[in-house]
Order: sequence, then C-alpha cells, then structure tokens
Amino acid sequence: MKRIIFGFIILFLIIWGLKSCLHADVPDIDIAAEAITDTDTQFTPPPPQKNVTIDGVDYLQSQAPVGQFGGTLVASTIGEGPKTFNPFNSRDNISSLMADVMYDGLLTTNPYTGEVIPKLAKSFEVNGTEYLIKLRRGLKWSDGKPITADDVVFSWQDIVFAGVGNTSVRDSIVIDGKLPTVEKIDDYTVKFTTPKPFAPFLRMLSNPIAPKHIFEPAVKKGNAYFDTFLSTNADPKTFVTSGAFRIQEYIPAQRVTFVRNPNYYVINTNDEKLPYLDRLVYLIVGDLNNEVLKFEAKELDIIGLQGANVARFKTLEPHSDFTVYNLGPNTGTMYLTMNLNNRKNENGKFYVEPKKQVWFRNKNFRTAVDYAIDRENMVFNIANGLGEPLFTAESLNSIFLNKNLKPYPKDLNKARELLQKEGFYWDKRGRLFDKYNNRVEFDLYTNAGNTEREAIGVMVKQDLEDLGMKVNFKPVEFNSLVNKLANTLDWDMVIMGLTGSPLEPNSGKNVWHSRGTLHMFNQRLEKDKNDDLFVWEKRLDEIYDKGALAIDFDERKKYYDEYQQIAYEEKPFIYIYSPIVITAIRNKYKNVFPTTLGGATHNIEEIYIDKEGGK
Amino acid sequence: MQILLYILKRILQTIPLLIIVSIVSFFIIRLSPVDPLAELRLNPSVSKETLQRETERLGLDKPIIVQYGKWAKSFIKGDLGVTSNGELVSAKLKERIPNTLLLTAIVIFLTWVVGVPLGVAAALNWKTPFDRMMTVLTSIGMAIPSFFFAVLLLIFAVKTGWFPVGGLTCTNFSELSLGGKILDLTHHLFLPVVVLFTISLAGLQRQMRANLLDVLDSDYVKFARAKGLSEFKVVYKHALRNAINPMITLLGFEFAGLLSGAALTEYVFQYPGLGRLILEAVLKSDINLVMASLMMGAIMLVLGNLIADILLIITDPRIRDK
Repeated sequence: MKRIIFGFIILFLIIWGLKSCLHADVPDIDIAAEAITDTDTQFTPPPPQKNVTIDGVDYLQSQAPVGQFGGTLVASTIGEGPKTFNPFNSRDNISSLMADVMYDGLLTTNPYTGEVIPKLAKSFEVNGTEYLIKLRRGLKWSDGKPITADDVVFSWQDIVFAGVGNTSVRDSIVIDGKLPTVEKIDDYTVKFTTPKPFAPFLRMLSNPIAPKHIFEPAVKKGNAYFDTFLSTNADPKTFVTSGAFRIQEYIPAQRVTFVRNPNYYVINTNDEKLPYLDRLVYLIVGDLNNEVLKFEAKELDIIGLQGANVARFKTLEPHSDFTVYNLGPNTGTMYLTMNLNNRKNENGKFYVEPKKQVWFRNKNFRTAVDYAIDRENMVFNIANGLGEPLFTAESLNSIFLNKNLKPYPKDLNKARELLQKEGFYWDKRGRLFDKYNNRVEFDLYTNAGNTEREAIGVMVKQDLEDLGMKVNFKPVEFNSLVNKLANTLDWDMVIMGLTGSPLEPNSGKNVWHSRGTLHMFNQRLEKDKNDDLFVWEKRLDEIYDKGALAIDFDERKKYYDEYQQIAYEEKPFIYIYSPIVITAIRNKYKNVFPTTLGGATHNIEEIYIDKEGGK
Repeated sequence: MQILLYILKRILQTIPLLIIVSIVSFFIIRLSPVDPLAELRLNPSVSKETLQRETERLGLDKPIIVQYGKWAKSFIKGDLGVTSNGELVSAKLKERIPNTLLLTAIVIFLTWVVGVPLGVAAALNWKTPFDRMMTVLTSIGMAIPSFFFAVLLLIFAVKTGWFPVGGLTCTNFSELSLGGKILDLTHHLFLPVVVLFTISLAGLQRQMRANLLDVLDSDYVKFARAKGLSEFKVVYKHALRNAINPMITLLGFEFAGLLSGAALTEYVFQYPGLGRLILEAVLKSDINLVMASLMMGAIMLVLGNLIADILLIITDPRIRDK
C-alpha cells in the first residue's frame, strides 16, 4: 500500500514537472505571423552620408542623430570561427565578415536602396568600359600611413588580378579570357578599364583595399606564404586596417574582439570621428540553440532568429530589453526541381529513365506539379508563418525582381486538366498513369539533416500524391546529394536551396547558363556536347551574355525581367518560399536601422549606446 | 633492466599498429562520400576554375594511395600539414589541447580523489543504507546521458543567471587581474566539470566497490581476519592492494581519454577544446586535421595502456616475476 502511494506521488511530481514545459514548447503561430505584419520595425532612415572636407581631409559625414561614445556590442557567429583574417584569402562567410569589419572597399551598396555608392572613394564615374575613381584626400590607415592610389593599384593589380589568395573575384571578372586593367592617374585618382562593357564589375569594386606597405612583402614571398599571411595565428598588433574597427584579440573557438580604428574617416554632424562603439565582439558559438541561450542570458546583444524562437521572443519582447526587427525575405531561394537531362553516361545508360524523361521534359507536367504544391501551407506549418511564398527566380528583395510575375494558389483542378491534356489518366484507385501506361513514380531527394527541407519534402510528397503520383521521398547525406547533382546526375526530383545576390543577377550565371556548373535541371558535364538545348535555354544563354554586357540599369532590368519570365513559365525550378530574416537587438543601442539588404549592423559606425534611457 | 626491455618491446609493437590505424582511417575518410568542396560546388558565384584550383590545392585530384603516401611522409617527419584553410594543424591543436587538458585533468583528479574512497566506503558498508543510497545515486549518474545532463545544466544557467552559458572566459578576460582570471575560469569550468565528474564518478565508484567486495570475499582475506589482524590492516594492507589492479588498467584508459573523452560535453558547453575542432574537421573532411587527431588518440591509447602495464608491474609482484 505504502509503495503504491509512493508511486503515485512520484508520478504526480513528474507530470507536474512536465506540465511546466508544455506551454513553452507549443509555438504560437498567430504571434509569429504577427511579427511579419508588425509595423514597429518601421523607421525613417537617416539622410544619406555626405562628403565633407575639413582641413584638406575628405571625410564622410554621417547624418544620423549624434550619439554617445563608448561601450561594446557583442554579436555572434555560428560555427568554428574565422579561418583567416586576410581579406584576400577568405573562403568562408565568417572570414569574409571579419574582413568586412576591418577593411573598406572603394565602393559599397546603399543598404536602403541597393545603389552603388562611394565608400573609401570620394566619387566614381563610369564611361562604358572606363571606371574613373577619385579617392578621398588625407585618409589614413590605422597605423597612420596615408591611403593613396598606390594601395588601390597594388590591391587590384598585384593581388586580385595576379590570382593571389582566393581567386573567386578574379575568376568572376574575366571577360572573354581577359582581365580588366587598373592604372594610377595621380595620387588620388585611379582608372579601371574592362576589355568590354561589363556591368557586374562596378559592384566588384567593393572588394577590400589592402595597405600596400603591409601586404607587398607577403605577396612577394609567393602564393604559399600568402595563404598563411594574416592567418588566425597572426599577432593582432600587426593588423593595419581601413575599416571602422581593428582586431584586438582572437581567442580560438571563443571570440574575436575588435577595437575602434581612431583614424576612421566617417564623422558625425559634430565633426567627431566615429565609430561610437569602443569595441565590437563576435562570440564564436557552435550552434543556434546555444546562441539563443546566450542571448537570453544577456551575453549577446544582437541575434538572428528563426522559426519557433521568433514567436517566443515576440511574446517576451514587451517586457524585455530588446526589439525584434523584421528584415524581410532572405536572399536565398528554395526550390523543387526535376532532372530534364536526356543524355547518357559513359556506360551508355541514360541518367534519367526514358519514361521519366518524357514526363520531366514536358512543360505541362512541370506546371501541373507546380499547381499541386501548397506554398501557403508550407509557410504556415514549416516556417511558422515567417516566410513568403516564392514564384520568381530572383529573391523577393532583389532590385531586379520582376514584379509582374504574380503569385497563384494551389489549384488541383488546373493541375489535373494539364495532365489530362498530355494524355495522363487515373485508374479507379486514383493512381496516375502516363499515355504509355506507365505508373507515374519517381524519387524525391533532399539533404538529410536539414529539417526545413525534410519537412518540405514530406509536404511535397503529400501534395503530389493528391495528383495520384507515387513519390519516394529519400533524404540523403548532403555530400552524396551534391555528388548526384554534380557528377552522377542520377536523380529524378530534388529539393534544394541556393544563395543568391539581391543586387547582381549575373551571380546566378552558373545556374542559368546552359554550360554552368550549377545548371542542375539540365546539367551538362565536361564531356557532354552543348546541343539539344530547349528553345528557352538558348534564350537564357543569350540573356545572360547580353545582360552582363549592358551597363544601363533599365536595359539590364529588361533582360533579367525576361529571364524571370522564362523561369516563371517553363518552371525548370519550382520555387517554394523565402524565409523571413528576423533580428533581435537590445534597446540600449540607438541608430539601429536594419534593412533587408544590409542587415542589422550595416551602419556599425553610427550605432551607439544610450547610457540613460536604455531600458 | 627487464622493465626497460619490456617497454622497448612494447614501443616497437606499436609501430605496425599505428601504421594500420593510419591506413584504415585515411582510407575510410577518403572513401566516404564526404566531399570537402561540396559547399563550394553549390555556391552559384564560384566558378569552374576556382573549383579546379581548390581541388588541386587540397590534392584531391591524385589517387588515394598517393595522397596517403604524401601524408605519411610528412607525418613521419613530424609535420602535421595544413588544414583545408591553410592553417597549420599543429598550431590549431596547440590552441585547443591546453583547454581540453585543463578540463579533463580536473575531472580525472576529482573523480579519483572522490570516487575511490567512496567505492571503498560503500564496499566496507556493504548493504547498509549508505551503500544503498550510493547505489541509487551512482545508477542515476551512470544512466543519465552526458549531453542531456549538460543541456539541463545549461538551462539552469540561463534561468538562474548564476553561471555563464558555455565558453571558457568572459569578454573582458584579458583585462582582469590574475585572481580575477582564476575566478572567471572557475566560474566557466564549474558546469562542464560537474557533468563529467558526475558521470565518471558513478562508474569509478561502482568499479572500486565491486573490486573490493570481490577481494573481501576471497580466502586470503578470511584467513587474514582469522589470523586476528586488525580490520584496518586487513582492508588497507591486504584487500585494497589486490583490489586496485583493475583500477590501474582503468587509469590507462582514462589517460587515453584525456584528449578525447569530453567531446560531447565540450560541444554542448561550447567549450573551446579539441572536441569541437575535430567534429568540424570530420564534417568537412579536413583530412590533415582529422588524421592528426586520430593519430593523437591512437598514440594516447597505446601510451595509456603502456603506463598502466608498467604501473601493474610495479604494484603486482605476480606479473613482475613472469
């Protein structure tokens, strides 16, 4: 008897304990969805920064409200931290982020409008193939040496064009096998010349400029030495930077600390040198969960949020010391694609079974699949309402987005109609057969471990089964999936995502050009001949070739509108949705103007801590 | 002399072992479908030329045998090579080893200082309420998965704010005084040590208790008692000495775990130790780093066993005479 009572007491305690977990674990979708429409993230951005000359020095003057100096901002990076502090050697996002903090480029992107604006340069002029850049006079590196045209010429000629370090910038500006050239006109003027008019080059000028007196000896020692130059083991005191901050210390797997660069060239309206913050710290955090915990424990001041956490932070927000900002859809695209390949591999076997080729290469079949997919439902259930259904090849915040391409809802009747038109039929049990009496059955892949894509896969499978198709959903390991997509090409349908640039559609050339390395839906390997293109594939090739050569924005927009139109109609990729980027930052930080293009800290030099009214 | 010869023989024996370990691990890593360039391949702005150059830089265009030969040659010379990002592997390891050693050494020290006496006490008070209570506690300690316990403690840290959420030092560490630094380290180390301590303490206490109970039940202990020796002498001179042998073997394994035993806990607590480094290296198939850590693990294991064997020779005359 005693035992039974004892047992009950324990059971009661356990249930009571579990009960307290219940509430927190059920995400409140209404509130999450509210975060999208919430208007508290609206603010009037400050007027654009102006060029001001004081005592012969060309400063850039911030027009944001004047703040107080001092304090620290603690941000975070996910993963194992930077691999190098050499801006010309970074091959991963975190290293690039660190480089961006320390080194400014000649030009930059206006974070509010997406235009190209001068940064380290005072002004720029584009004349067809010529880019004339005027530098600011009197600027200094963090060690006090002047920043001149020599540094610019050196950075481009001896590092980027010479192919030292990471060569991806160089590879992307080779035009018909030729590189642009750079020449010094005088101490504060440089001229770049491209072999042909090439629009994407202008944005490339945001690439960092290196201090010649520091980098030249390293470049002379050759490529192998340059790979280890300014690595994570380098002494922080040896760094000479042009950006708002300079590295103070790097503690492996824990944090990177930056201190303000006293020679920075941005000033406030009182003519005091920015940045306001004394220090900027990036904690190196292993995973998302730990990042959230650290923010809650107040070890972090700013955090990017996802999914269910948004709902929770939104409920916490009114009685906490932070504000949640909605930065709009992110720059990536997530899509479902079919293998349109009709070629054979080395062994004379088709990559895709011939009967499936007939389906996938049929536009009406692809359109039917598209109409069967319930994007709204996926946004609601998988992204907790924090996403926007996507129908275009350019991401929703792209300045090249074709706004004429309208979204449409799931429409099974239309899908059935399209299939019927192509001779597909259903048997009594609702199973779909093609006109040659083949059961419509195929494999759907995605990378295992990515819970979002796995969830999408499950819902796509359900949606397509509504049409009577048999879908074998197989999440596989990321690397083997990449191998399938890039080498063996033996897949039917796949759910993938790609990062994109909201500013430069030409960065998608590898995807859309028929010989591109990521032309997944109809991948051609080295050995494959470039014939039997679809008519629209041929047109895409033309658009991409011409779009890059056109300089005028409106002219380019016409080309890239057409490419989006083609993608919208032919559906080589069936886009699903774009997650929305959400950031939380503590209220004590002022001059925070997050934008979809620049993120929350694009104006890091203007952000300050309000010491009185922080709460 | 005999011992020296024995040690030499053992060291020679480890050479083929290490070669086999290295071959097996190298081939398993390289033949697995993990592609170190997978991320790059899926980045639309990376060109074919860049990919080609990266492949050559990492030596992926050569056959595995050649890759292995190249690695083995430099390994013998004492050069661990560079990571896939061009950092020196030896420098990377050097950054992390002290942190991991700090954590594991504290834990091993604490578990042995607390665990062995507790085990002895439990065995001597066999079937008393004390022993039963210890059994319940250690069962809990052994049953609870380390990562789960670590997560629980992390939540505790967040809710109470008494402890930092992971890491090893706070952001203004370099400005603290020496005393402040030690205090800060202790503050950060407390939770991970609690996790590892609880779990290994349970195992060690059970082991010690079982060994001693075994020995206490043997004929020579009964004889010693019958002979009229004091209980103190029976236990501490005769029984304990015999019960300690398996513990020494265990110590050898603990030595091997010095560098690798805390990986999971390190990961949860975002501890800047080897665990996180190696995990990322494996996921990215960063061959030089993975191989260096595997070889390190193998050498530590061999070394740990060797130390245990030598200690056994010293403590146990039966082995010495053979």
